[in-house]
Amino acid sequence: MSDDRARDAVTFEVVRNRIVAIAEDMRIALQSVSGSPTVTEASDFFTGLFLPDGAVASMGFQVSFQAPVCGTVIRHINSKPSLAVREDDMFIGNDPYIGALHQNDVQMIGPIHAGGTIIAWAGVQAHQTDVGGMDFASWCPKARDVYQEGMRIPCVKLVDRGETREDVLEMILTASRLPDALGLDIRAFIATVNVARRRIADLVARYGVATVTGTMARMIESSETRMRARLRELPDGEIHVADFLEHDGHANRLYKIDVKLTKRGDKATLDFSGSSPQAPGFVNCTRAGLAGAVCGSVLTTLAHDILWNQGALAPFEIVAPDGLICTAKFPAPVGSATVEAVWVTANATMSALNRLLAASAKYRHRAQGISDGCMATFNLGGVNQYGEPFGLHLMDPIAGGGGAFASKDGSDAGGPITSPVSAIADVERNEQAAPLFYLYRRLARDTGGAGRFRGGVSGEVALTLGGIDRAEALIMTHGAEAPNSTGLSGGWPGATVRQALGRGAIENGRPRAGAWETFGPKPGLIPMTNRDIFAVTWQGGGGWGDPLDRDLDAVARDIAAGLVSPEAARSIYGAILANGRIDAAASEARRQNLRRERVGTPVVDATRFCRSTPFAALGEALFLVRDARGIHVVSKAGCILATGDTRWRRGANARTFDQPPPEYRITLHPELALTAYYCPATGTLLAIDVHRCDEIPDDDVVLDLTALAGEVVALPKDDKRMAVV
Amino acid sequence: MQFFVGSDVGGTFTDLWVAADGGATRVFKTPTTPDVLGGVIEAVGLAARSFDLSFERFCAEIERFGHGTTVGLNALLTGNAAKTAILTTHGFGDTLEIGRLRRQTSGLNESEFTDPYLRNRNPPLVPRHLVIEIDERIDVNGRIVTPLDQAQARAALRGLAADGVEAIAICTLWATRNPAHENRLRELAREELPQAFVSVSHEISPAVGEYARMSTTAANAALGPLAGRYLASLERRLQDAGMRVPVMMMTCAGGVLPTSVLSDRPAYALFSGPAGGVIGSQATGAQIGLKNILTTDIGGTSFDVGVVVAGKPIMRSEIALAGADIRVLSIDVDSIGAGGGSIASAAFGELRVGPKSAGANPGPACYGRGGSEPTATDADLVLGVLDPDNFLGGRMKLDLGAARRAIETRIARPLGMSVVEAAWGIRQVLDSRMADLLRRMTIERGYDPRDFTLFANGGAGPSHAWVLSAELGLDGFVVPAAATAESAYGTGNADLGFTADRPAYVRVGVQTMPTAAQLGLVAAALQAASNEVAANLERAAPGVRARIECSLAIRFRGQAHHLDVPLESDVFDLTAFQAATRHFEQQYETLFGRGAAFTKAGYEIISVRAVGTAALPPPAQTAKGDKLVAAKSRPVVFDDPHAPLDTAIYLTMRPQAGATVDGPAIIEFPGQSVVVPPARRATADEFGNLHIGRRP
Repeated sequence: MSDDRARDAVTFEVVRNRIVAIAEDMRIALQSVSGSPTVTEASDFFTGLFLPDGAVASMGFQVSFQAPVCGTVIRHINSKPSLAVREDDMFIGNDPYIGALHQNDVQMIGPIHAGGTIIAWAGVQAHQTDVGGMDFASWCPKARDVYQEGMRIPCVKLVDRGETREDVLEMILTASRLPDALGLDIRAFIATVNVARRRIADLVARYGVATVTGTMARMIESSETRMRARLRELPDGEIHVADFLEHDGHANRLYKIDVKLTKRGDKATLDFSGSSPQAPGFVNCTRAGLAGAVCGSVLTTLAHDILWNQGALAPFEIVAPDGLICTAKFPAPVGSATVEAVWVTANATMSALNRLLAASAKYRHRAQGISDGCMATFNLGGVNQYGEPFGLHLMDPIAGGGGAFASKDGSDAGGPITSPVSAIADVERNEQAAPLFYLYRRLARDTGGAGRFRGGVSGEVALTLGGIDRAEALIMTHGAEAPNSTGLSGGWPGATVRQALGRGAIENGRPRAGAWETFGPKPGLIPMTNRDIFAVTWQGGGGWGDPLDRDLDAVARDIAAGLVSPEAARSIYGAILANGRIDAAASEARRQNLRRERVGTPVVDATRFCRSTPFAALGEALFLVRDARGIHVVSKAGCILATGDTRWRRGANARTFDQPPPEYRITLHPELALTAYYCPATGTLLAIDVHRCDEIPDDDVVLDLTALAGEVVALPKDDKRMAVV
Repeated sequence: MQFFVGSDVGGTFTDLWVAADGGATRVFKTPTTPDVLGGVIEAVGLAARSFDLSFERFCAEIERFGHGTTVGLNALLTGNAAKTAILTTHGFGDTLEIGRLRRQTSGLNESEFTDPYLRNRNPPLVPRHLVIEIDERIDVNGRIVTPLDQAQARAALRGLAADGVEAIAICTLWATRNPAHENRLRELAREELPQAFVSVSHEISPAVGEYARMSTTAANAALGPLAGRYLASLERRLQDAGMRVPVMMMTCAGGVLPTSVLSDRPAYALFSGPAGGVIGSQATGAQIGLKNILTTDIGGTSFDVGVVVAGKPIMRSEIALAGADIRVLSIDVDSIGAGGGSIASAAFGELRVGPKSAGANPGPACYGRGGSEPTATDADLVLGVLDPDNFLGGRMKLDLGAARRAIETRIARPLGMSVVEAAWGIRQVLDSRMADLLRRMTIERGYDPRDFTLFANGGAGPSHAWVLSAELGLDGFVVPAAATAESAYGTGNADLGFTADRPAYVRVGVQTMPTAAQLGLVAAALQAASNEVAANLERAAPGVRARIECSLAIRFRGQAHHLDVPLESDVFDLTAFQAATRHFEQQYETLFGRGAAFTKAGYEIISVRAVGTAALPPPAQTAKGDKLVAAKSRPVVFDDPHAPLDTAIYLTMRPQAGATVDGPAIIEFPGQSVVVPPARRATADEFGNLHIGRRP
């Protein structure tokens, strides 16, 4: 018996490593052949191996939103006997009402046969710059339905028993404004699926079908086991948060993605029922987009050391009725889903999951504010400097700020954490490949969310046309009036997007005074000339903790590095400069004043305090203690904010802003407000909520106290906060 | 007497390889010293004593002194390089900070990519306050858009001088297209900081793409003062003792260059250690007539693989180092975290091995230094592959009990296996991960591994090679005579080599041909690159007969990845262009399969390269070794953990030419154990290399 078990464990690990390596080989094949900068630089693609039922067993580390897509298409094929699947077939699709996030994401899947039966599927998909539709790049702000957004390929056999159906391929390429680039990528897809087939065939020849399929199934089980174990380590309770996107292409309306996370034992439910109804414009996503957003959020936030596959998602149930902005019904337009509803759904989901981490002694250090809360779009189309039709999808906007962790600052221009290996191209490469001329590409001062740990600052660029006179630009984003990169535990959101166009602001490469116009979120299609400058600053990362608790030396380093201005240091961080150095005494005095201003007359009534040793914490500033009166949520100073449950907001001092002070560089949509909560005894900042101005924010973390109090969770020994209590 | 010497300074040991008159070769190892130089001199002293010569006498007889070192690499990794400033174009001073976002994940291993908490580990090579933006701008066509503000530059340089800056890297946008501003900035820097080491990007890394160019130039500048001092003092010390030849430094690209030629471009020697190992295997291959080689090196923490095809190593043009993209032509050595120190763990009923390593301290449990986690070395000990009393030639005793205990508590009991089964499992998992890398380095590049010979280097290479060769479908492998010091051997056996790149951007649309102006642009770049190569090889060895080969970096229009296609003719005209694109398509289809080429896309030529080599006289080598006689035997686990085979053990320093051993057998050298599996035979050749192949 022992012999079999030993061989099983060893063979599993050997074959598992091989299957992981095959997903990586697929990535290498795709990136080597692809002609899309979105693939080769930004890694906006996906490669994976699937079980016959569509469950993903192994995937690359690219855009994690994409993981469920190919599996959905496999299930679609399985449900349609008319799509007779034969050996060496390959299917192509891009229909958001089947599995794609939006039509630009073209996927190809191929069955892997052994002995005449399907033992697995290989799937690959990548963002294509143009797949037709009413506007260049297939992102059509004025679209009213999905028919206007380019071709939809439900699921079509492109390779029939090894032979490419050139007529079908021609039909697909004909629909695109950039047929050469699409053609190159489809060839890359075929090569990628072939790589997977050859590798799996070798593996089957060596270990047999049963071992290979058994290993794939067990890889999924293994990730599920590990994810369930992780969930059991986190506290039980309900988390309720929201994120917003503004402007649906037609009007500057505000949309909410509302998520209620209920976590019990080794299961979690994500309920999006409170989200806004679907929009009349292209910002929606279908149910496929919702699944992708949840997948990307769960994998990046909780599966840092768990193999990414279907199993890691199994403990999560999604609840959402049809017809929401994140479950749009046919034929709603969804062209910009990935950077709108999908992106914001992921922000909200990650925000909820990180609150769970923040309430766990074991994982609190990894709790993180939101990174890259949006990806502002700058597309350019026309005839390039080589006289060819061209389409540019600028990838630079992924260089937003990283969210601060509970234990360290966020990364400056850190990029999206949901696609770990994405990169942006060199300025020189961009100027060579596209008709661009940059004035700068740099880090943007004062954009990082303020906090004890600062969110990373974002990048910013200014550019004009180079080598051509005119082109058409598509400029759109959310997050110009919604601070999506929210912080935690009192950390502020990062700056909102600022985008502007200077007409006549440059002549022969030399800037001059021009007529500058600052845009809202979605100016849409705009003609641009080589005398105009487009300037954009992206969102900084969310902060962690009260900025007045930030180490003064860290503030001094930020000032020296140009990441924080002396004015922001003074007003936000309470740090006073004298002769180029931080004046510690003056700064401490200013911080005391600022805290006092926050609360007016501090609470001193002894009955409002409990000084027992905390048995758990909700993050940086809030602790759970117990005395004869029951369980309380207290601030660092021991001031009681709630008793009997963790709904502490009613016990705190609140201040609501229609617009935060300008030094935060946050612009709020007319329907949004921001509320700060302070400890009534000390003025310490406890939380920042971004919410609809006509709603009172709900308590975000409602823990199951009976479960929590049962097993006393100790804080780590080196946690200095304990000394304060 | 005449000595050919090769030396390599690694993180732990400094290796010296010496070939004397008559062909006898010896290897010496000393601990690497913090000043680096001391370890090298100590090793030379050891060599002198072993030949019964004084240090001076030995040095006077040195015909060739090859050298490789990680001193530059370590200086950069530990932030101990010179205080360096960067001058760059206004608006682009954050280039290293932003780092194309690649800085975020650089240095993460294969299991760490998915963890956002581990990102942004490496700060930029130069802190932001030492990056100075200067008003100037040149565009993609080389046109000056904004003239250089010389007064501003001069003022900035004065500030840097006052700040104690020792080195200056100059990298402005499109300097590769028009170097006027970089050249002028260099003049200003020399006027204002006459003592500083100055590097300009269009010379150090002449390619489009400012992040890698700036990183490389910054690394070069930061190393300049340090590498110059180190190499000058090494050379002076040996020449003062009587050495008549210059120190020949191994470059990343695999050729050696005298220190005088390398002194202004130390970045070219940044990865000399791994390059030396591949060059060593290439030289051993040349000696025994093998041209297709998979060179493997297994040390304590990593498994390194290089590939030699038709006698030439496969190259890469960029390497990520501490968050920076360093763009110098280098031998492509890929590696994974798999070695003797790789830690095995069991969780959720599963066995994992690596990439975490116990390193040298505490090291494997059997080292008895407090390590309690089981490693691959512990598994080898339990399986009988290693002898507890004859590790490192008996200089270190291994604790078999500790190895068994670690495997028992951490692996065997949790997984319900016996200790031997668990040890065997650890080996299987580790070896199969290594085989996966070998497959990626061959099959993924369109090569059939069965057309190659596997070379086993490094302390643990020869004991794992039998499994790796079987995994790849090979009959056997070769253990080079200098397998434990292959990098040092490589530095003592390399040819002179110098490589120059020039950008030359030509875009050819669908069904069209390049214009005369486009062809002329490429031809001029080829001429410039060839001239640079010829001039430097002439400096390295006046009167030398150099061989220069040129290639073109070409891709389908719109792709990001290119292939290097060799140029057959000396003139670059339309015929040469067509030959090159034909060659490109063939190479492309070899790599990505028939029909993968999408000729309708058109082409882009990106850059040209000239590679110059000049042969240096190779040392004569013969082996005067021992007969191989079985000293003892012990049970060793091969394929079945329940049926260890009684295995003959041979002890030798160096086997005699023609000596054979039939498996199952282990041939123990000081520092390595060659495992000969059943049905295989090991045969020593006249140079001391062991060939393991099918038993007749």
